[in-house]
Amino acid sequence: MRSMSHSPSSLSRRTFLTATGAIGAVALTACSELTPGASSSDKSSTGPFSTAVPADKITLVVADADDTTMTPGLLDAFREQHPNITVKRQYTGWDDYLKSINTTMSADTAPDIAQFTSGMQNLVPGRLLLKVGEYGKAYGWATKFPGLDQITLTPDGKTVGTGDLYGVGAGLSFEGVYYNKAKANELGLTTPPATLADLEALFAKARAAGETALVAGNLDGGLNHPFNVLLSAYLTPKDREAWAFGHRSATIVLPEAKTAAETLLRWVDKGYVTPKVNGVSDNDATAAFAKGEGVFRISGNWAAAAVAKGLGDRAGYFNMPPVTAGGKVRTTGAGVYYCVSSKSKNAAAAAAFLDFAASARAAAVTAKAGFMAPDAGAMPSQTGLLGDVQSGWETIVKDAGLQPFIQNSSTPTMGDTLTTQLQLLVGGKVTPEKFLAGLQSDFENYHK
Amino acid sequence: MTTADRRLTAEPARALAAPRPTKPGPDRAGRGGRRTARSGRRRRRTVALLYLLPALLPYTLFSVLPLLHTAYLSFFDWDGVTLPSFVGLDNYGRIGSDPQLRAAAWHAGALILFFSVLPICVGLVAAALVSRRAGRRGTGLVRTVLFLPQVIPLVAVGILWRWVYAEDGILNQALRAVGLGGLADAWLGSFTWALPAVGLIGTWVVSGLCMVLFLSGTQRIDQEIYEAARMDGAGPVREFWSITVPLLRPEFAVALSITVIAALSSFDLIYITTGGGPGNSTVVPGILIYRLAFGGGAVGVASALAIVLTAVISVAVLVINRLSREAP
Repeated sequence: MRSMSHSPSSLSRRTFLTATGAIGAVALTACSELTPGASSSDKSSTGPFSTAVPADKITLVVADADDTTMTPGLLDAFREQHPNITVKRQYTGWDDYLKSINTTMSADTAPDIAQFTSGMQNLVPGRLLLKVGEYGKAYGWATKFPGLDQITLTPDGKTVGTGDLYGVGAGLSFEGVYYNKAKANELGLTTPPATLADLEALFAKARAAGETALVAGNLDGGLNHPFNVLLSAYLTPKDREAWAFGHRSATIVLPEAKTAAETLLRWVDKGYVTPKVNGVSDNDATAAFAKGEGVFRISGNWAAAAVAKGLGDRAGYFNMPPVTAGGKVRTTGAGVYYCVSSKSKNAAAAAAFLDFAASARAAAVTAKAGFMAPDAGAMPSQTGLLGDVQSGWETIVKDAGLQPFIQNSSTPTMGDTLTTQLQLLVGGKVTPEKFLAGLQSDFENYHK
Repeated sequence: MTTADRRLTAEPARALAAPRPTKPGPDRAGRGGRRTARSGRRRRRTVALLYLLPALLPYTLFSVLPLLHTAYLSFFDWDGVTLPSFVGLDNYGRIGSDPQLRAAAWHAGALILFFSVLPICVGLVAAALVSRRAGRRGTGLVRTVLFLPQVIPLVAVGILWRWVYAEDGILNQALRAVGLGGLADAWLGSFTWALPAVGLIGTWVVSGLCMVLFLSGTQRIDQEIYEAARMDGAGPVREFWSITVPLLRPEFAVALSITVIAALSSFDLIYITTGGGPGNSTVVPGILIYRLAFGGGAVGVASALAIVLTAVISVAVLVINRLSREAP
């Protein structure tokens, strides 16, 4: 009893205040480390750039937003080859990954390897990404990986395609046209169409037969898929890349881009596209198409598995046709790119994983997940829808027709801006001219 | 007044205010005997501070310091990664001139209708009905059902209502079933209806909370007042307007404060259902702060916006409390 009554008074008010003050001070110091001014040293590829994989027990942490079986499959296969390396995967859903990866990579506990996404270009001037060019030379990545320009950045991180190499693309994705074969046969549609105009004629026929011609959802901006491939078809590759890669003084206010926007708007206005498209999410559109709704759907090869599962033998695929018959096939695509943290203590092992992604072993895993492997020859041949997609890919590689998504590296905010502007465009709130001007103003805010 | 005087006047007052413990406890053992009242008071103050510590410490660490930190960040141009540059009040200037932000402020204001006015009306009527039927069968169930939305995480609520509002969702199915299929719309994708649609989700969530607040208030009201009113021939409606509503003033203040905060700082519901779309028709300050800070790499502007939002909400709550304190 007595000791109980005694103890509070033995802790005097001064002690109490000192203690609170001390805790507060510690908290403030901790904060000031987080405040602007976080310094980071330029730690670009230090040490020997050999292709030797460390033999001691180490741990690699991999952060990604890959919802297919590719990344986990590659990690499993890599683990089997290197039993001394413990690989830990940190998976985050796509939207949350986009918003959180920059803070994750800035932390002292940054993962060794991370999937590179749009917005991460800010990490380059912050020197939080490892320049892997020297490893690339040692491993010979230039001949192993296609599309390395998409992860080559200038020191300010604002321009893509020139500068230093920051990673590799393990699985590549691209967009094309899925269609419901059974319905196409029923409606007497001749596929694949030779030109964009032919495709639009098929849409008109499907619409006349009472079908939804093009299944789409724009609640979260899913119309960017048709718009991106239309831009690929109409714009010159030079204009397209200059803008998508954020080259200073590039513009999207071009007659060809206006044609692309007008085409998309016409498809909506003529009733080819899913009605009330602004109220349908992109995932729901894929699900509806896989359940047998509508005739066509423009989406990426990541949707192949879901479409094949839903439609079975009725699922078909063809590449987005060019503007003029016999022209080169151009489409929009990206890839699952892996980059390495400049804070990684196991850069050599991380580089070994990047190199592993180009192996024949990896190609099997990548192909199974529905992606195109860097080593196209090593991909097992597939039948059905996945086979159609794969042969479509071969044409695109032959025509060198893979172009970047305009929202991925033009500016960090372009994803949101494109979604907003597409909703305004198809909702009849802005003209194609104002739509393009809206995109351009975001571009100029960032690249001023 | 000297400390000695204060001691003299303070002791009896305290004796009146707090009944002394009937059995000797630790507190009592310390107070009697050798210790002076002065050291006792100091000790009690220390004890009081100690009791505050578990709440004060996390509050300081996780609310006060981050708020100060945000205010500090709002003076910098910072992308969250590289070195920042001090820009003074520029970020605040940028907020003032942003047309998107004006739209967001307007939408947040409109949400007050759905998050505050409607739920308070619904809650009040529900409370009046439930309290009049107190004890009868089914009132417990009604109370539970109305309060249930408050228990569901807002993210789940958002997903649920996305299905309700979908093109082939329950709402449109119901409209078609009663022959009003012409009215059916993809509600969340409509420039006209998206904001009211999202707002009504808020009404659905908050009404139950308001009802419970008002119910507890009606239990506080002396039944004799109602009996007297009935003697004078007042019906249920008259009772409601002349007794229940005026006497629930403190509950109104609480309900209004909570719901106005919810309206102005809304984020999760809108993020899940529309993400601010279509176009910018449901953009609110919370969505803009999130976009700017995490996607757009404009941490300084986002912080400035957050500080302004906090200030606006604080002023709104102060005004509500000041008004509610005045006598009817």
